Amino acid sequence: MRHWLRSLNIAMAATIVGWSPACAETCISPFIKRLDRPEKILYVSCSAIDGRHNDFVGVVDVDINSANYGKLIYQLDLGCRGNEMHHWGFTDDRTKIWACGLFSDKVFIIDVASSPGRPKLEKVVNVGQLSGLSGPHTAYALPGRMLLTFLSGKNGGLPAGLAEFTNEGDFVRRLDLPGDAPYMHDVTIKPELNLMVTSGFTPATNYKVPLAQWNLNDAGKSLLIWDFKNRKVLQQIPLAGAPFEVRWSLKPGARRGYVICIFDDSLWAWYASPGGGYQVKKLGRTGKMPSDLKQSPDDRFLYMTCNGSHEIQQWDVSDLDNARLTSSVVPGAHPHMIHISMDGKRLYATNSLLSTVDPSSQYWIRLARIGPDGMKMDPFFNVDLSQLPTGPARPHDMLVN
Amino acid sequence: MWNLGLILLLGAAPVEAGPTSYLAVIRNAPDFSLTNQSGTRVRLRDLRGQVLLVSFIFTTCNGSCPATTHRMCQVQEELKKRSIPAGQVRLLSITLDPARDTAEVLRSYAQLYDCDLNGWDLLCGPPPEVGPVIASWGMWARPAANGQLDHPSRVFLVDRKGQIREIYNLSFLKPPWVVDDIAALQRETP
Repeated sequence: MRHWLRSLNIAMAATIVGWSPACAETCISPFIKRLDRPEKILYVSCSAIDGRHNDFVGVVDVDINSANYGKLIYQLDLGCRGNEMHHWGFTDDRTKIWACGLFSDKVFIIDVASSPGRPKLEKVVNVGQLSGLSGPHTAYALPGRMLLTFLSGKNGGLPAGLAEFTNEGDFVRRLDLPGDAPYMHDVTIKPELNLMVTSGFTPATNYKVPLAQWNLNDAGKSLLIWDFKNRKVLQQIPLAGAPFEVRWSLKPGARRGYVICIFDDSLWAWYASPGGGYQVKKLGRTGKMPSDLKQSPDDRFLYMTCNGSHEIQQWDVSDLDNARLTSSVVPGAHPHMIHISMDGKRLYATNSLLSTVDPSSQYWIRLARIGPDGMKMDPFFNVDLSQLPTGPARPHDMLVN
Repeated sequence: MWNLGLILLLGAAPVEAGPTSYLAVIRNAPDFSLTNQSGTRVRLRDLRGQVLLVSFIFTTCNGSCPATTHRMCQVQEELKKRSIPAGQVRLLSITLDPARDTAEVLRSYAQLYDCDLNGWDLLCGPPPEVGPVIASWGMWARPAANGQLDHPSRVFLVDRKGQIREIYNLSFLKPPWVVDDIAALQRETP
């Protein structure tokens, strides 16, 4: 009886904490609590443009039953400007967002648990000073901690690196890069395989100046496979120009993942090599400047924004030998960040990449509906950030609650 | 075709995460004094010199707690397999529901899960005593819509000096890996 009860308890728990492919948030750290219902709130990291107003977190009502559906209902003033608000991530318990200022080296720790519709700024941490690195990019939850990637070293050059902090913002340690792979961009972890993958973009000496002045040769050209527990690089895999966003397959134990190369207009997969280690394969040519990569909850589709050709592409990657483009939409000029809902039916998009790169003057948050026949833009969902009372703003990353 | 596979194993030695160990010092483990399933007082700082594995659970949970406790049992088994004496490693499970989880309830829970209480304390106390302990470890529990308690899934590994050196969640709480970490901490100079 006792063993039966215990087995029942554990089986119930396994069901609750296990993988449910049809309905689960994707492209956030596997250590983060998943949302157990459709999203009601969309948070957007925003940089003020006019030089007079502060950067902010936009809160958009995305509760389909709300009278304010599709409206910007709150702006959390971050108290300063010029941060280049960029990527961000939840802590493992989903109570806080770590919002990275790419140019200011600051992380804004935002309480989203006390009142999800009115987030509060809890603390500002200069993670650059604490780590000796600059350009905080991806904020990736570990249990009780945050792992940050940094695009640059202390003075904006190389080597870049990674660093870990407690959820409260205390520095834990820095992870240095191999001398012949000094670039950093994104990170993804597969806990059950004890593997971490990182990519490499370009340092601040490039991204802080106008695009026309960039040295495109000064960019990463490899993936790094790490022993996650030991935080040691196991393997360096040569790749095309500027490996950008990286994602492990969502299937438990699946030994493959995906990466886009922004300077090469290409989509790649990494996968376990029969002889040990990992190898890569080019899945296809994307639109111009693929800049964000997201996954469907069933692990079948990849979605990527092609910033230079103004489109969002959907690729079926269920067969790596026959990966194919299945759908494409043009949400407006220069889409960049995207976010997929837990049921895989809604794709939110914003259109700021970097202030030094953005050619557009119109900024928005838009929505594509995803069905069996691919993506279609929702003409009724359009949050215009060019005409705010607080001045125009450039929207970047998104999270939902 | 899989014709673009290119593998280059790094020849250079990988960078050490810390000066002495791959398990970084995350922070000091907050001290506490609570009551175990037998009614005995257990104070964290009195356990210095032992490696500790600290979980936060509640006995009526049907989410991650049953699996967490089961994995802790497997850790105990793995420790025995590797002949690591119980006196060198201690497991602690602190209740997230002090109003319901009395010492008697925790005793029954331990029996249900076959916890070997020689080396494992399940800890409780009055809510005003347990609440600050939960908060000081960065944990929390609040009522969820399904009548359960919502809480983070974290298990803490504490070294012999009372420092938190690893935090696992369920997806990373693999008994052989945990025991590898425990053995690594035991190899450090006390």
